[in-house]
Amino acid sequence: MLALEDVTFAHPGAPAGYRLTMTAAAGEVTAVRGRSGAGKSTLLDLVAGFLAPSAGRIIVDGRDVTPLRPEQRPVSILFQSETLFEHLTAARNVALGLPGRADAEKIAAALEEVGLGGIGPQRASTLSGGQKQRVALARTLLRAKPVLLLDEPFSALDDDTRASARTLVQSLTRRHGWATVLVTHHADDIAAIAGRVYALEGGVLRAG
Amino acid sequence: MLRSADLGRPERPFRLLAGTAFAAAIGLLIVALFWAILSAARARAGGEVHLDVGYVLYITTLQAGLSTALSLAVGIALAWALNRLRFPGREVVVGLFASAIVTPGLVVAFGLIDVWGRAGWLGGLGVPIFGLGGVVGAHLVLDGAFAARILLGRLDAIPEARLKTGQSLGLNAWRRFGVIDWPAIRGSLPGLAAIIFLLAFTSFPIVLLLGGGPSVPTLEVAIYSAVRLDFDLNAAVTLALIQIGLCAVIIVASSALAPVATSVARSGQPRWQDAGAARAAQWIVLAFALFGFGAPLAAVIADGAVSVPDVLAESSFWSSMCTSLWIALGSSVLSLIVALAVAAASAAAPGRALRTLVAVPAYAYLAVPAVALSLGAFLLVRDSGLQPETTAPLVVVLANALLALPFAVATLGPPFEAIARSRGRLIRALSLGGVRQFTLIEWPLVARDAGLAFALSFCFSLGDLGVIALFGTQNFATLPLQMVRALGAYRSHEAAAIAALMLVLTIGAFVAIPKLFGRLGDAGA
Repeated sequence: MLALEDVTFAHPGAPAGYRLTMTAAAGEVTAVRGRSGAGKSTLLDLVAGFLAPSAGRIIVDGRDVTPLRPEQRPVSILFQSETLFEHLTAARNVALGLPGRADAEKIAAALEEVGLGGIGPQRASTLSGGQKQRVALARTLLRAKPVLLLDEPFSALDDDTRASARTLVQSLTRRHGWATVLVTHHADDIAAIAGRVYALEGGVLRAG
Repeated sequence: MLRSADLGRPERPFRLLAGTAFAAAIGLLIVALFWAILSAARARAGGEVHLDVGYVLYITTLQAGLSTALSLAVGIALAWALNRLRFPGREVVVGLFASAIVTPGLVVAFGLIDVWGRAGWLGGLGVPIFGLGGVVGAHLVLDGAFAARILLGRLDAIPEARLKTGQSLGLNAWRRFGVIDWPAIRGSLPGLAAIIFLLAFTSFPIVLLLGGGPSVPTLEVAIYSAVRLDFDLNAAVTLALIQIGLCAVIIVASSALAPVATSVARSGQPRWQDAGAARAAQWIVLAFALFGFGAPLAAVIADGAVSVPDVLAESSFWSSMCTSLWIALGSSVLSLIVALAVAAASAAAPGRALRTLVAVPAYAYLAVPAVALSLGAFLLVRDSGLQPETTAPLVVVLANALLALPFAVATLGPPFEAIARSRGRLIRALSLGGVRQFTLIEWPLVARDAGLAFALSFCFSLGDLGVIALFGTQNFATLPLQMVRALGAYRSHEAAAIAALMLVLTIGAFVAIPKLFGRLGDAGA
């Protein structure tokens, strides 16, 4: 489970009075909606450790991760774009999720689980947008972190691909017990997969 | 809504430490060289300088100014023509102009004599090839082609949508140049002008060969003459200090301008072509440029090829060849290692100030011309009680590596910075260590640029005359030095053959090395 306890962030670019309190349960997709510039991506940067909060605590499975650097946080993150290294094959991109030597069987199994069996040798640059997101999800599977952060991950996808990607995220979240936080301004994404919804307005999170 | 490039950068203390150590070492070295020159100047305070420094400065500035203005004009016209015209072999022609940056000045000067000299192909036309006209002409050939290749990159980068808009508005060729092309290239012109001015200002072999003696005594040649011919160290030190000071002023002034990338993308997409008089003008420009740049190189090959078998039978040639190759290899390996360390450290540094601080010492060598650097090293070695002859190989490798360093860092710095900026957060989010970051992410992406940096350094070193001129001995000579000696002894066939071999070697290395590195990078992916 992920919890943000009175997390504040003071920066000239951040909304005044930015204060975040929320929980995201394991095995559930928690959505954060808000207009452009509301601070949704800042929220993810705080959880991922790219930005340091001025005050408050970030808790993952009962452990305070606030002082940890991004590399040390038990968190996986999927950006809207630039999710893969285009010069590497799909398999090597997935292998980046493993700390040691690449395990071909694990990589193949992860790709299979996201519906991309056999795509491993292909270069990431040759994949479609939807396939790239699935490869990134396969990498997340190998990383086996309890929190998954999604920064507008479906925005660049067409309607059909988008629907199947949403379903995949939801089923992986349930199966692996991730606390998934989805940041988006698309109401249909929220309606399709979110179990809990927060609205970020004026720098404050409100349920609903 | 909020992005912090520095927070997203992976923390790499070891890289920062290594890069800072290299930066400090090359910074200290430049201070030591400068100190050696200043000490020599102080020791000779009050000594008479047997040289009209004002005249030397006037001639140097005049030829550099003329070379810059004319090279830019030719570069713009040629880039414009190449951007529009499509013909079989266009890629080869574009590649030929791109090789101008590494073509040894000595070879071009020799080729101009082959074409326009009294006994040359077109000697009957009576074109004055020696003196100011010859020097500016040689710079125009080299720097005009270099400018054209850089500006062609800017024109090729014009977004397709802008061209389509222009085409749908029915812009004619001249309005198109004013409305679309000029805004795309004008930002690069001041930086490009500064580079060309520096290249011409510090030009050595071209002035040595085409200057025609004391009538065009540029600073670089005057320093060389003062040390090697007149044994007037007083004059050499004074001139070196003036030259370093002036180059530093130009560099500081040009650092405020938009940088000019050394690396240029492939040029080949089909484009909107002009018609009528503009198209005719483009063909004429291309024909003149091809003749101006291609004829001297063709003459070098044609005249030299005949004597190549004789030269290949000479043991002195092989000795110089081996010396040239290992100096070029040594200096390019050293230059690449330092440039990689500096570029990686700069990209890892938190904050713009630290990034600049790590990279600045490498760029400082732009302000130190080859002969002045060589003079400083010569004085440093002598003051340390060492024999210049015994330390020459090491000093020549080091000096050539340092002279190529600004170009190597300028080539590698932007891709490392781009990876840190655009992929730093993903690299951190995946908890990749420094070694995996380099082998899996950075090396495959920068391998070709590393190859370009290596090739530039290799070719600069192969064609260098400025450094070896002061350190060369009877037993320690490179190909350019042997060529100059052959010319001095009126063995013009030998010189022609060496020029031809140097040209083939340089262009071959410039084409092959980046490709080889590119393959190494692909293997890493």
